Amino acid sequence: MPHPRVRLAAAAAAGLLLLTGCFADAGEPATAGGDDRIALAMLLPPRSGLSPFSDDAFKLSRWSTAETLVTLDAAGAAQPALATAFAPTRDPRTWRFEIRQGVTFHDGTPLTVASVVAALTAATEASPRPRILDGVDLTVRPDPAAPGTAVLVSTADADPLIPQRLSSPQLSILAAGAYGADGVVNPVGRGTGPFTLISSNTTTATLDRYDGYWGGPAEVAGIDVSFVPDGTARAAALRAGTADVVEAIPVSQAALLDAARVHEVPMPRTNTLYLNTAKGAFADAGLRAAARQAIKREPLVANVYEGRADIAAGLLGPALPWAAGARLPRTETAAKPVGGAEIVLATFTDRAELPEVAVQLQQQLEAAGFRVRQEVREYAQIEADALAGAFDAFILSRATVLDSGDPVAYMYSDFACAGSFNIAQLCDPAVDAALTKAAGIVAGPSRHAAIMEAERLILQSDAAIPLLHERVIQGESGAFTGVQRDSRERALITAGTAPA
Amino acid sequence: MIKTRFGYGRSSAPATPGERAARFRRVPYRPGVPRPGVPRPGVPRAARPRTAVARHGWSGPALSRAGAVLAVVALVGLLPGLSGRDPALTVLRGRSAEQEATPEALAAIRAQLGLDAGPFALLGRWLGGVARGDLGVSWVSGRPVLPDLLRATGVSLTLMTFAALVALVVTAALTAPALLAAARGSRRRSGGALAAALTALPEFLLASVLLLIGAVALRAFPPYGWDSARHAVLPALALGLPAGGLIGMLLSDAVSRAAGEPWTATWAAAGAGRARTAAALLRRALPGLLPQVALVLIGLTGGAVAVERVFAVPGLGRVTLGAAQTQDLPVLQGGVLILLILGAGAGVGAELLRRAVLGPALRAGALPVAAHAPAPHRGLWITAGAALAVLTVLIVAGLAGDPYAAGRGRLTAPSWTVASGPDLFTGSAWALPLGADASGRDLLARLGHGAAVTIGTAVLLCAACLLLGLLIGLLPRAATGPIEVANAAPPVLAGLLVAAVTGPAAGAAAAAVLLVGWAPLAAHTVALVAEARARPHIAILPVLGVGPARALWRHVVPAVLGPLTRHAVLRIPGIALALAALGFLGLGPQPPAPDWGLVLAEGMPYVERAPWTVLGPCLSLVALSVLAVTGSALGRTR
Repeated sequence: MPHPRVRLAAAAAAGLLLLTGCFADAGEPATAGGDDRIALAMLLPPRSGLSPFSDDAFKLSRWSTAETLVTLDAAGAAQPALATAFAPTRDPRTWRFEIRQGVTFHDGTPLTVASVVAALTAATEASPRPRILDGVDLTVRPDPAAPGTAVLVSTADADPLIPQRLSSPQLSILAAGAYGADGVVNPVGRGTGPFTLISSNTTTATLDRYDGYWGGPAEVAGIDVSFVPDGTARAAALRAGTADVVEAIPVSQAALLDAARVHEVPMPRTNTLYLNTAKGAFADAGLRAAARQAIKREPLVANVYEGRADIAAGLLGPALPWAAGARLPRTETAAKPVGGAEIVLATFTDRAELPEVAVQLQQQLEAAGFRVRQEVREYAQIEADALAGAFDAFILSRATVLDSGDPVAYMYSDFACAGSFNIAQLCDPAVDAALTKAAGIVAGPSRHAAIMEAERLILQSDAAIPLLHERVIQGESGAFTGVQRDSRERALITAGTAPA
Repeated sequence: MIKTRFGYGRSSAPATPGERAARFRRVPYRPGVPRPGVPRPGVPRAARPRTAVARHGWSGPALSRAGAVLAVVALVGLLPGLSGRDPALTVLRGRSAEQEATPEALAAIRAQLGLDAGPFALLGRWLGGVARGDLGVSWVSGRPVLPDLLRATGVSLTLMTFAALVALVVTAALTAPALLAAARGSRRRSGGALAAALTALPEFLLASVLLLIGAVALRAFPPYGWDSARHAVLPALALGLPAGGLIGMLLSDAVSRAAGEPWTATWAAAGAGRARTAAALLRRALPGLLPQVALVLIGLTGGAVAVERVFAVPGLGRVTLGAAQTQDLPVLQGGVLILLILGAGAGVGAELLRRAVLGPALRAGALPVAAHAPAPHRGLWITAGAALAVLTVLIVAGLAGDPYAAGRGRLTAPSWTVASGPDLFTGSAWALPLGADASGRDLLARLGHGAAVTIGTAVLLCAACLLLGLLIGLLPRAATGPIEVANAAPPVLAGLLVAAVTGPAAGAAAAAVLLVGWAPLAAHTVALVAEARARPHIAILPVLGVGPARALWRHVVPAVLGPLTRHAVLRIPGIALALAALGFLGLGPQPPAPDWGLVLAEGMPYVERAPWTVLGPCLSLVALSVLAVTGSALGRTR
């Protein structure tokens, strides 16, 4: 019988050996520059097992593994993708999409009308439905006039944005095998894009080139994705040469990087100060006007964002290029004397810059005579209180166009009486009417004009004070060209991305 | 198995080292000891001490553990009901951050998850599943919970093992001087300033600094990921250094105390070698600390969230935190269950090991007593004085400035020149000895103004933890489960529970910290009390007609209070940081308050560009920790 200590030591050694077997099974991690695979560091890990009906859809699209019927160009116009042509039928509630021929899924099955109908129907039947289908009753069926080549997409009410909606990554077309009977969607090896998803977990994902891609094979052999929640670590990866492309570098880290590696992309996001129009000090329009006059945007952009943001002139920023030209002049309410009115200024910590914005705003508002108390929590802990109107002022970084490239849905949810995200508690029949009018117009200049009229009315109410428009900072090592810098955060690595 | 009678009821000091070692070696631990009612040979029944271990049957701790685990898991199940946060909404946010929470979407999620059945039905269903070995399916991802959790557990245990190796090295380095001094027969003791400084270093700060040094500057280690042992080095260092500081401090303390026991003099007289004496000292000091070591190690699994996040390690801490935030109950309950089982397992292991090492002497009431207190050396006074001076200067100089004025320029570097001119006394022209933060505020002013509330709250809370830990630790049988559970459950869970019950109220953060902060001190109390009761002069008290209460308060408690206090003050910086860390729940200090933990957190993104934003608050915490530890060492020797 061996000595107890010997046994103990042996057990400990065996245990250690076993434990070292507990690392991920990926083998040696790919290092940047060593081959023609791209090392990509992304911000958030998949939340829902890469189901396209969740936020994970944007990952599938950024990796070019799942594709949609339609894509959007820089101006927000719909362009052919898996659908080669699309047009409204004589019935304004129905659009017709011609399906691209000769496309195969990564599992070898062909793209057919039936697979398109099945994929889109799965989205409409998902529980809950993906956000792009909020308030839309969508049905998809094969076009009886063109069997095997076209589908008809109908909505209950006429919807001028059908092609834009179908460009959402949440409506990606996956092979039939991806949709499980229990409603779980697994996109591994089921897409149509230039890269096929091999595996993924909460820290890494691996994609290989799909040689049968309909648009011609990709230039790079594959993508090695790491999910790195910490901004310092992501920036460090670019400097250490571990990553070729890095998503969402925090402002605080950008100054440490070589300027040639830092690319700023305007985001369709507006940092907005929402004022509670229903109760408290800001129920008084005069005090809201006083707050508007007290706020100076330049120090926010210069200090907190180190110049890496755009001063907001309205709710819609430079990511919507048409907005600035169509903006209408406003008549502003006169400010009242503040007289030490007490307010609670709230924001959240999930976006690192917001607490610093709150510090600056508190200074500015106090200089104007307000007495300010801050309330700062994590977003999940503060959303319900904010929606219930518990704060006088709330700083929010708000996405102005979600999936369709169109801002009406955002404006409606934030500023209409029945809006579900109405932090300002605004209820103004004129705003409601303007939003309803804009929602009914087909995409184009006249819709833009109606949107800007609604923006004018909202800003005149001083329910929201737009502060600035963020830019997303993308880091690139320079080892690859053709990395997309997409303000909608849909595209990143494409078939055209190539070694430099 | 041979049962030896050797040593039972004998004098505390063994005759020779060899004899003593032989005695320990030949008495293996046997479950079932002690057997009440079976008289032990050689010891009169009346004189048998009622030590903690003697009363410590198996059913008590087992019941206590099971009860505590059940209580926590049930509480987790009721979390959404307590907090009033609709799980349908948090699950929707988990899947799709900016989706409109329309009534239809929420109703769809409720129907899909069966939330309408109510929390008790859900809990019952979950418990039924657990009985079948099925932990259910994640509400957010729809994936089965168990395989993912097991993978995360493997990662956490691996990381913990590597961190334990680091902690072992640190502990050895910190204990070596005390051990050598004791083996030489010197009565000097270390003040533990270095250990205190290490313990005061926040893990998240260490993680970021190690990342920048190890991955960017040296390019020796990968910045993130979990593919090979190289990936474990930096996170293990970040976790192991403070853990090693804590254990090293406690161990050198225990070694110094053991060196004061009379048998060391006997050994020295008998000519025992230094190496042999040192080994015996370690053996004497270790058992009381084993429960602590177990607690620290288990704390490294559920409490490693910050380090796991920086290095993107897919461990249990991150999984449970994410599940807590989205109220993904199946994952949260499963994660907590695994953490608690690990905690209980480590507790049982430590207890077995402790009894195996100390067993015979502990059962026999034959533990020696220190004859003399170790003497402090002059360096201790100097260290304490220096720490006190740093803090005093910080507060006096800082109070002169304005902690809220944001006009000093973003991230202005420290400067010592005082501008001349009429502005000299308005504050705006003062020098910035510690620099300015990202909002352009004077860091010295912020630290000075924040000192009173930071130190005050942390010291008061520490005292409360000490008191609570002492009281609960005196009930070892009932306390086992709650101690392990309070230690193994992720600290953020306590915050969530308190936030759910009280909302963002004053004192809620303190309550949350108290809810888990007492556990290590209680565990330490249990171990120290068991040892104290096994000392002959205390064991004999019942025979002398001293009542149990009087024996407890006049003899046992004074014997354990010293090391316990030194342990408690070591946790002061951690408590200050824990308070600030609960800020995300709306608990604790809120910005723009100049609380040190907040100041440190605000500086973290700039650790490389503007190191002074973290250096000031970090050094303040280190000074506080050093002062507390050296001060308590000085106070004890008087």
